Amino acid sequence: MNDPKTTSIFPSLTRRQLFAGTAALSAATMFPIAAWADGSRLNVRAYLEPDDYDPLDASGFLEELLYGCIYRKLIQYVPGEEWDWQLDLAETIEQTSPTTIAFTLKEGQMWSDGFGEITAEDVKFSMDRHMVEENNSRIKPDLGTFTHVEVTGRLSGIIHMERPFAPIWTIALPYLAGTVICKEAVEAAGGKITTAIPPAVSGPYRVVEHRLGERWVLERNPDFSGEAADFERVDLIVVVDDSAAEIAKEAGDVDFTSIGAGSVQRLRDNPPADAQMTLHPALFYHWIGLNVQNPKFEDIRVRQAIMHAIDVPSIMQAAFFDVAEPSTGIIAPGLIGHRPEGLIPPQADFARARELLDEAGIDRLEINIDVLNNVTHTTTAQVMQAMMAQAGIDLNIEVHESGSFWSLGVASDGDRWKDLELTIKRFSMTPDPYYATAWFVSDQIGDWNWEQFSNEEFDRLHDEALSETDPDARDEMYRRMQDLMEESGGYRFLTHGVTANLFADSIAPATRPDGQPLVQFFRRT
Amino acid sequence: MMGQFRHSLLGRLLADPMAVFAMTIIVGLVVVAIFADAISPHDHTLMNLADRFAPPSSTYWLGTDNLGRDTFSRLAQGSRIALYVAIVAVSISGTIGLVLGMIAGFGPRWLDNLLLFIFDTLRAYPTIILALALAALLPRGLSTVIIVVVITSFSEYGRVVRTQTLSLKNAEFILAERAMGASAARIVFHHVLPNVLGPFFILAAMNLPVVITIEAGMSFLGIGVPPGTPSWGATLKDGFDYIRNTPWIIIAGGLPLILVTLGFTFLGEALRDQLDPKLRKSR
Repeated sequence: MNDPKTTSIFPSLTRRQLFAGTAALSAATMFPIAAWADGSRLNVRAYLEPDDYDPLDASGFLEELLYGCIYRKLIQYVPGEEWDWQLDLAETIEQTSPTTIAFTLKEGQMWSDGFGEITAEDVKFSMDRHMVEENNSRIKPDLGTFTHVEVTGRLSGIIHMERPFAPIWTIALPYLAGTVICKEAVEAAGGKITTAIPPAVSGPYRVVEHRLGERWVLERNPDFSGEAADFERVDLIVVVDDSAAEIAKEAGDVDFTSIGAGSVQRLRDNPPADAQMTLHPALFYHWIGLNVQNPKFEDIRVRQAIMHAIDVPSIMQAAFFDVAEPSTGIIAPGLIGHRPEGLIPPQADFARARELLDEAGIDRLEINIDVLNNVTHTTTAQVMQAMMAQAGIDLNIEVHESGSFWSLGVASDGDRWKDLELTIKRFSMTPDPYYATAWFVSDQIGDWNWEQFSNEEFDRLHDEALSETDPDARDEMYRRMQDLMEESGGYRFLTHGVTANLFADSIAPATRPDGQPLVQFFRRT
Repeated sequence: MMGQFRHSLLGRLLADPMAVFAMTIIVGLVVVAIFADAISPHDHTLMNLADRFAPPSSTYWLGTDNLGRDTFSRLAQGSRIALYVAIVAVSISGTIGLVLGMIAGFGPRWLDNLLLFIFDTLRAYPTIILALALAALLPRGLSTVIIVVVITSFSEYGRVVRTQTLSLKNAEFILAERAMGASAARIVFHHVLPNVLGPFFILAAMNLPVVITIEAGMSFLGIGVPPGTPSWGATLKDGFDYIRNTPWIIIAGGLPLILVTLGFTFLGEALRDQLDPKLRKSR
């Protein structure tokens, strides 16, 4: 029995042991600091939180940001100024007929965690599952007329389409729907990736931790078959607010972030130390939509008066700080279908607007606009309110939080969609016009087509353009479709905006032509 | 005459430096609100994009906002909104609380328990969460702000009035009145009501800046007044959004809120000092 006076809950330590332990502890705590100091860690801001690791649930670029780091595709976008693709998993890939694409995978491309080689069966599993009705894939429309993948060998297969689908090279294969996941791992997990950490990855990084609402912690994937990633650790940090993200960059908490248009001029005038800013023409499209089915706007002259009373250059100056150009439609410059100019000039014509209202027998018009609670769109609405008053139009602004705003035009969320008047929206975009027009066909009324625009010619052209492989013919079709939208009086196109990125000198970022980061290609300088 | 004035409530307040400071701020606020159009150097709705983010100057006393609107003129107009919301919301919630509090205190036990349950439930609900929920259901505007304030604050008045009423209910002079056959209405209106009004007014004075802050908070979060309305909270929101472009908007937007909060709080404390007999005795 020990003497109670000398018994301790701590193990007995000699002074030498204490010094040795302290030294070891100090060395251990210094390790991450050293990793940070030599630039082997990269912090990238995500403006929203990606949904999860399963492409079935993916909805947009935020998932692509994560998937690009941990998964691979047959082909990937090339970083740079021009939209193009490069081989990734595919050794060869070619269009063998208007409805078939043959591919062969590179030898020896491995899954992590002992799941073996990536095979054509994985490609088939990954793409075919989007077509299964019960899977409720949110990105099924990205695959267009795709029907299935036929496996012809261990590493080869044929992609089949029902009829030609031009965007397969620009949307389906290099974006979310083309993400290849591990058949064996996902089937073992019950057919869907719902685990806290993905069971198998193939990209340059793997997930080690997900802190909900805060960050994804990734580290270099030791099983990656390509050139090893430059960074030992990548954190995708969720910072919703642009100003907060800019402050985080200045504080050194993030190395790469997009920033708001309001900061561009200030940073041009006072360039930050040890950082660079780049501007990229974005693909997004912002527009003011008017519900053409609302009885208040039955007379097309009223709709046209409203469109003429919106001064787009003033909105560019006030809400976009003159760093973005007015747009001519929903398709950005450089893409098939871009119109050099719209039917109504960007400048307002208040006299014409007043004249049209007089012709329609309206002295004073009171209308409502619903906007999302973000500074760009609320500022846009305030500028509109001031401008439209000059034409005798009183504009009431209704601001909504994200959840309530995005349910306004949805039929399954109540009857509010029928009474909508004006809205300001921004949709994301991929480098094919199909992705822009898809939301304005008649079938989308009560879903994404809040303007309730319904035009037979538009619907027919959208369907035909999908399978049209002649670029000139497609170009003509999409231009005509935007003319039809504008002629309806339901659309006032604002801008595609710009993507402004701010990043540390210590990194060489890689972005798509629209400025969205491709983190898997980021390097140290 | 002078002696009478000196012993009146106003006279006693004017003898208290803290109360004088508070009343100066409040009178100033009322004057600015009444004469906002006359003292505003610019039209508060007028946009001048060429002059946006201008610092304070002889042209723009408190600078301009992101749309080039004069910040001072917007704050002057905002004082009307602040006062309107504060007076209307406190009047409605105070009246409801006063009536329900006296009913709870003077009524049967089961009714007291029921009302107490309602008061406690509402008091336990966080104001901003309730505001967010109501903002999703109701159209945006001052009416919604007032409804939120009334729902969240009438229980506070009810609680205080009930406690006062309960303590008075069994006071000797009330028992004597009852013994003499006085009706319940006479007891409530002639004896209970005058005695609960003191604490009631102190609470109302203390609550005025809270209400103004709730309105500003809701507008700051984008669930208060519609964009373009020159409320103090909306100015703060603009200042926050563009704090990296200029600090002046947020400084100017915060100043009146600080001053008004100080003014009403000091006045409430001065009133409490003067109306609470225990505090007066201890002086």
